[in-house]
Amino acid sequence: MVHRLGSFARPRVLRRVVTIGVATALVLAACGSDNKSNSSSTAAPGGTAGGGGSDKSLVIARQMDVNSLDPSRAYCDTCQIFMTAVYETLIGLDTDNKTLVPRLATSWEANDAQTEFTFHLDPKAKFADGSPVTSADVKFSWERLKGLQGAASYLVSTVQTIDTPDPETVKVTMSQPNSAFLAQVNASYLGIVNSKVAQAQGATADPATDKAETWFLSNSAGSGPFELADYTQGNELRFKRNDNYWGTKSQFPEVIIKETAEAATQRQQLEQGAVDIAMQISNDVAQGMGGSDVTVNPVPSFNYVYLALSPGAVGGDALKKAEVRQAIRLALDYDGLVNVTVGGAGKSQPSPIPNGFAGTDGLAPPKQDVNKAKDLLSQAGETNLTFDATYPTFNVYGVDFSTAMQKVQTDLKAVGIELKLNPVEISVWADKIGKDGIPVTMLYFAPDHTDSSQYVQYFGLLPGSQWQTWAKVDENKDETDLLNQAFAAKDDTSRAKLYNQLAQMMIDDQIIIPVVNPNLFLASRSDIKGMHYSACCNLDLSRLSRG
Amino acid sequence: MTAIALPSGVRVVRRRPPWLRGTSLVAVVSIGMWVIVALTLPLWSPHDPLEPIGDRLLSPNAHNWMGTDALGRDVFTRTLWGARQSLPISFVVIVSSVIVGTVVGAVSGYFGGWLDTVLMRFVDITMAFPPILLAMAITASLGPSVRNAVLAMILVWWPIYARLLRSQVVAVRQREHVESAVAIGASRWLILRRYVLPLSYTPVLVNATTDFGQVVLLTASLSFVGLGARPPSPEWGAMITEGVTNFYDWWIAAAPGVAILLVVFAFNFLGDALRDSFDVKDRGR
Amino acid sequence: MPLLLAGIATLVFVISRLTPADPLVSIVGERNLNNPEVVAAAKAQWGLDQSVFVQYVKYMKNLLHGDMGTSFTTRQPVTSDLLDRLPATLELVICALILGVSVGVSLGILAARHRGSIIDGIARFFALLGASLPAFWAGLVLLYVFYAQLGWLPGPGRLDTRDTPPSRITGFYTVDSLLHGDISTFGNAVRHLILPATVLGLGVVGIVTRLVRASLLDEFSLEYVRVARAMGLRERTVVNNHALRNALLPTITIVAFTFAFLITGAVLTETVFSWPGVGNYAVEASRRLDYPAIIGVTILGGIAFLLTNLVSDVAYAFADPRIRLS
Repeated sequence: MVHRLGSFARPRVLRRVVTIGVATALVLAACGSDNKSNSSSTAAPGGTAGGGGSDKSLVIARQMDVNSLDPSRAYCDTCQIFMTAVYETLIGLDTDNKTLVPRLATSWEANDAQTEFTFHLDPKAKFADGSPVTSADVKFSWERLKGLQGAASYLVSTVQTIDTPDPETVKVTMSQPNSAFLAQVNASYLGIVNSKVAQAQGATADPATDKAETWFLSNSAGSGPFELADYTQGNELRFKRNDNYWGTKSQFPEVIIKETAEAATQRQQLEQGAVDIAMQISNDVAQGMGGSDVTVNPVPSFNYVYLALSPGAVGGDALKKAEVRQAIRLALDYDGLVNVTVGGAGKSQPSPIPNGFAGTDGLAPPKQDVNKAKDLLSQAGETNLTFDATYPTFNVYGVDFSTAMQKVQTDLKAVGIELKLNPVEISVWADKIGKDGIPVTMLYFAPDHTDSSQYVQYFGLLPGSQWQTWAKVDENKDETDLLNQAFAAKDDTSRAKLYNQLAQMMIDDQIIIPVVNPNLFLASRSDIKGMHYSACCNLDLSRLSRG
Repeated sequence: MTAIALPSGVRVVRRRPPWLRGTSLVAVVSIGMWVIVALTLPLWSPHDPLEPIGDRLLSPNAHNWMGTDALGRDVFTRTLWGARQSLPISFVVIVSSVIVGTVVGAVSGYFGGWLDTVLMRFVDITMAFPPILLAMAITASLGPSVRNAVLAMILVWWPIYARLLRSQVVAVRQREHVESAVAIGASRWLILRRYVLPLSYTPVLVNATTDFGQVVLLTASLSFVGLGARPPSPEWGAMITEGVTNFYDWWIAAAPGVAILLVVFAFNFLGDALRDSFDVKDRGR
Repeated sequence: MPLLLAGIATLVFVISRLTPADPLVSIVGERNLNNPEVVAAAKAQWGLDQSVFVQYVKYMKNLLHGDMGTSFTTRQPVTSDLLDRLPATLELVICALILGVSVGVSLGILAARHRGSIIDGIARFFALLGASLPAFWAGLVLLYVFYAQLGWLPGPGRLDTRDTPPSRITGFYTVDSLLHGDISTFGNAVRHLILPATVLGLGVVGIVTRLVRASLLDEFSLEYVRVARAMGLRERTVVNNHALRNALLPTITIVAFTFAFLITGAVLTETVFSWPGVGNYAVEASRRLDYPAIIGVTILGGIAFLLTNLVSDVAYAFADPRIRLS
């Protein structure tokens, strides 16, 4: 082997020098120019809609659980924010989280029997493309919501016919008395879609013919203060200001919801000014937050996390015995759960109707009784049970599901029940619960509107309700009867009494066991005004401003 | 160690093999300690790895050397118990891969022909993938669990040994004494067993040692993305994931990470030392 | 080579059918099962109501047309998803490569020249450390120190949250912003690259240092080095100008090999740094059981590996005069 000496002198040295030089240049360029582009300086380079200037975009950090951006199919916490911003409802909710106020409808009436509702639309109301919002659009939107049978369709289940006597009047006839309808109309999922635009994209009320879902992933057709600019799953949801908005335009040319899974990262981004609002700060992460730049304000919320038992699921046969379910309920260390999940910044909750809603007065808080639980199990002859516990990994209301489930696992082990924990991505969870069901699982719920009926319609064992379907159990006819009575009730007191009975019935069903009702940490930069928690809509972007 | 007649007064010093000397000794000892810990831990564990024993999220203190996690469990204890996850998993994966790979490689290299071509093509195809991608795909398909992760890793790892063995076998097969053995009619299996395999074990040992650490890393990686160990298992990768949720409580992720680092480092070091000491080329000093 | 590609595709097909779930569900997703149009289209395209063999044939045919199915999560064709995300990964990998190779070569030279001394020991120690660090953990540690505590470097993501990326020419934020003359975005992009590239580069340093050191030592034992030294050439000249050139021939293979290693390491690094590249896509796809995406990414990984090997063979042949001239 002969090696030649000599002439390839330069290449190696040269290469190293060049590399070091380039690296240094890069570093210098970075340090030099970055003093102005990092931290919360003004106008973003690269140009945003509206030409920059003093109005920066609003950036929100949260983990998104978007299942769809189709207004008739969307049903998730992030979807509430989206729907409220893009597709307006006829009726809005005031800042007190109780009073209904006009929005697309200036006024409304209901007949005594609560079977006919008439809405008068605001003639000024326009969609983002300039066309007026008419009764035909309301009819199309609600019929499509009902027809496509998405998860939010339960809100219009009692709607029988929608008449449009003139472009500004909508008359809705119910299949039964429904005193909750006005609250339901306020739910973000009943936002109104531009029917002409949607139909041009193949939107229909029939799932066999509807083609528009994919179009809705990158386009919107609403009348709200924002439009959908872009959605990249796992990355961001971008709104652009509707410059044709018929109401008061937003100050923000753009709102970006940035997918940020971890509360700690959200905090970091907030403190460094990279985001303006962090929506899922947990109690642990909130320790030490605050100061002049960042405001953190814990408020009670109606959101909660719950354990769900599905007797009809594959592997859940033992749960068919009421004693077993009751034993599980008695085995849980409720105070410990509140401590472990939110460090005490929250409450336990007896029934699926959250604290503060009609019907919850006087309900006894859940109590742990390990001995009684063990007795019940041995009475039922089930002493060594094992259940599959698949649950979604999701950052919800500051509660880490894995932490909560491990605590539940420990509590149940003490009474002789073994849980096989299986954390999965929420889409995988949704597939599983829809198909085989899951014996023991955990989920969360935020209110869709201000009436207690939603909890019965979602959690109660009514035919076709979400949890009756998922848990694969028989319906509870008494609940259906009571709910109809509640719908027909004419005053709040009698309604509250009925919901109280319903709440107790749902407790006795032993299908849904609320685990914690956490406080919500409203975390934002101190220059953001209007930060709030909405009982219908999660976060109403139109209420936010800067300065 | 040849026997030489030395003048009286001269001591014969028996030297330890190079991989047991100096810094390598540290590596061997530390591996030994991890193994002992993993085997005996249930007898002397400071706390229960699954039971909360203190307040949540305590920073390291005299009572809890690496603090407590979000459920109040002792992080130091859980880290030690993690060894009982990672070490056996790696052992199973490596041993299985070596066995499967040896069989395939030896058969392929020794018998040659179309069998060789087919088997080696299959090996090439499997090795054409980045290991983690392949392991993720297989685990996701079969369903996330430790058992499936182990299976996936074996499927990813055996081709390496197959290829290694095959080249060794091919090289050895051509040596004179093997050819003579064939000439005198020794059976192929006998040759395989008595000549070929014993001469091939060295590179396998070297690779297996380094790979042990790699499998620990891969196991932790799979658990980190949620495809391996299920809670409440104190597996190191899963613990690091919990540490991400409680980012400011740095000890939760620090302890398992350091554990992984120490174990993998020791195995890498030992593997290097073995490679150096078994290396035929003499570098001299 | 084409046989290998076919083999890769076949293996991935087998893996995708390993799932106990119904293949129709794997291709269409549970949620779309109620949509007869989607189901019918899927059945026609992938042959799902026919035998496995027919399915395989259709699968290969679709692949040849570049069709890897539609991702459940993004609802876009997997091929376009991958092309969208590829520049992000490449940008990261190339930076890590530059960093890792330059540091690794320097350390390797240092170690070889001072062989046996404490410098050698330290260099080898660091090299080994780099190869033993779990990349995702190192990323977290660096984020904790330099981002959360010190605030010197930005956090996860390719750019600051408020910044819009430069309009896409290559997809490399650094290159594109320079092409647009946007210095501040360039600086921003570079700052965001520092931590993830360092994390990825650490593993590269480990490999490259050891190989360069070994190769150089091999060269040192050869005659021409002794001649050069005997002729009185300074040690530095001997190493840098003569031995290195030859020692680095295997380095080309090494660089190609580390490129492949980097693709692997990128998977976890991207997860930790929320880097929207192919690795992140692979992890999300595995978590969500997005089978078309899993298949697509795995095939891409296989192709990438093969390509780098091919390139390294060619480059080696080109660089080594012995092969070139023979």
